[in-house]
Amino acid sequence: MLRVRDLTISYGGEPVLERAELAVEDGRFVSLVGPSGSGKSSLLRAVIGLQRPLAGTVESGLGHSDIGILFQDDALLPWKTARDNVALGLVFQGSERRRALAQASLWLDRLGLGGLADRYPRHLSGGQRKRVALAQVLALTPKLLLMDEPFASLDAIVRARIIQEVAALVEREGISVLLVTHDLEEAISLSDTVYLLSRGPRARIIHEYSVTIPRPRDPVRARTHPAFAALYDKLWSDLSREVDDAGSPKAVA
Amino acid sequence: MLRLVNLAVLRQAAALAVLLALWEAAGRAHLLNPLYMPSPSQIATALGELFGSGRIWPHLEATFVAALGGLAIGIVVGIVLGVAAALVPFLAELFEPVMTVLNAIPRVVLAPLFVIWMGVGLASKVALSFILVAVLIFFTVFGGIRQVDRRLIERVVTLGGSRWSLVRHVYLPSVAAWVLGSLKVAVGFAFTGAVVGEFVAASRGLGYLMSFAQSTFNCALMFAVIFLILVVVLLIFALAGRLEKYLLRWS
Repeated sequence: MLRVRDLTISYGGEPVLERAELAVEDGRFVSLVGPSGSGKSSLLRAVIGLQRPLAGTVESGLGHSDIGILFQDDALLPWKTARDNVALGLVFQGSERRRALAQASLWLDRLGLGGLADRYPRHLSGGQRKRVALAQVLALTPKLLLMDEPFASLDAIVRARIIQEVAALVEREGISVLLVTHDLEEAISLSDTVYLLSRGPRARIIHEYSVTIPRPRDPVRARTHPAFAALYDKLWSDLSREVDDAGSPKAVA
Repeated sequence: MLRLVNLAVLRQAAALAVLLALWEAAGRAHLLNPLYMPSPSQIATALGELFGSGRIWPHLEATFVAALGGLAIGIVVGIVLGVAAALVPFLAELFEPVMTVLNAIPRVVLAPLFVIWMGVGLASKVALSFILVAVLIFFTVFGGIRQVDRRLIERVVTLGGSRWSLVRHVYLPSVAAWVLGSLKVAVGFAFTGAVVGEFVAASRGLGYLMSFAQSTFNCALMFAVIFLILVVVLLIFALAGRLEKYLLRWS
C-alpha cells in the first residue's frame, strides 16, 4: 500500500529525518512514534506531497484522492458550515454540488453530528470540529489515511470516544492508516505495527514492533491485554533511552 | 441583562435631555450670545427650514453621491492593488512606498490640489473620498493576504483543490472578511473626504453649506449641518454594522 524508502528530509541545513524506511500493508494500522523534532510530521507531509524530500522515495500506487490526511488542527474553513466543509473535497473531486451536500450530511450523521450540519466551525466544540474534519476526510473514501497527532488537542474522554470510533471505522472499511503520535498508549492500542524514531536532527527509524493484540479490537479494552503492558514497557524504555541520550556521542554521531 | 442596558440608555437619554434643557434655558436668559452659541430651539428651527423648504435635498444628494462614489471606487481599487501587490512582489515594491507615504500624510491636504485639477464639481470630492478609502483598503487587503492561514491552504490542497479553488474558497472569503472588518472606518473616511472637499470649494453639498454658514456667520445653520452629518454618518455606520454582522456571521 505504502512504501517509504531511504527518505531524507531537510529544511535547508541538517536533515531532520534521515534514511527512513517504513511500510504500511493493505488494511494495516501503523504508528510512528518518537521524540519531538524527530521529523514525524515531515514524513507524513512528504507522503502527501506537501514536503519535497531531499532524497528517497515514497511509493503507494495510489492516486492523490485515495490518500486522506487529518492534521492536529482541524483547519476547517471558518466561513463554511460543517456540511459545506465536508462537501468541499467531494466537490473538488468533481461531484455535483447537490450530491456532495447529501453525501456530506450522511457522513455527519454517521459521526453523530446530524443536528449540527448548518453550524459554523466557531460554534462547534473541539471534539465536534474534530469529527467534522474526520467526516471531511472519510467522505472521500480514502484507501490510506494519514493522521498527524489528530487527537492531541482533545480532552481525555472525548479523545477516547473519537479514537474508539475511528478505530472501528477504519477496521470495518479496511482503510490503511499511518498515525503519527507521541502517545505510546494510543500507538500500541490502535496499531498492528509501531515504528520508533530516534531523536532529531538526523532522526532515523530505530525499531519496529509488532503488536500482537488480536483484532477486532477496542482500543480502550486493548490496554488491558497482557501483550499491551509488555510492549508498552519495551517501547517506553527504548524511547526514554532516546530522549536521555541528549548530547551523548551516539546521538551526535 | 437587556433591562440593564435599557436602563443605561434611559439614563444617558435623561442626561442629554437635562443638558439640552439647561442650554435652552441659558439661551433664553440671554446668558449665551446667539451669534456664537444658538440655543437648541434655534438650531431646530434652522433644521426645520432646511427640510421645510426642501433646500437640503440637493446638498444631501451631492454629499451622498460623492461619499458613496469615492467609497465604491476606493474599495474596488484598494482590493485590486492590494491583491496585485500581495501576489506580485515587483508590484509590492512599486506600490508599498507610495501607499506608505499616502498613509502617513493627512490625505485631506490633497483637497485644494484636487479642486485645481478637477474643478469645483463632483469629481474632486469623489477623488478625495477615493484616496482616503483606497489607501486604507489597500493595506487591509495587502496585509491580510500575506497572513492567510497556511493551514487552510494546505487543507484545501490536500482535499484536492486547484489554484482556482484556493482563490475561491480561501483567498476571496479572507479578503471579504478583512474589507468588511474595516468597512465602518472606510465609510467614515468617505464622508470625511466628501465634506472636506466641499468645504474647500463647491457649489453644493453639506460641506458647502457649512462653508456658506461660516462666511455668513450663521451659527444656527452651522450647528444644524453638523447635527445632520452626525445623523447621516451614524445611520450609515449602523447599516455597515448590520451588513458586517450578517456577512461575517460565521466569525
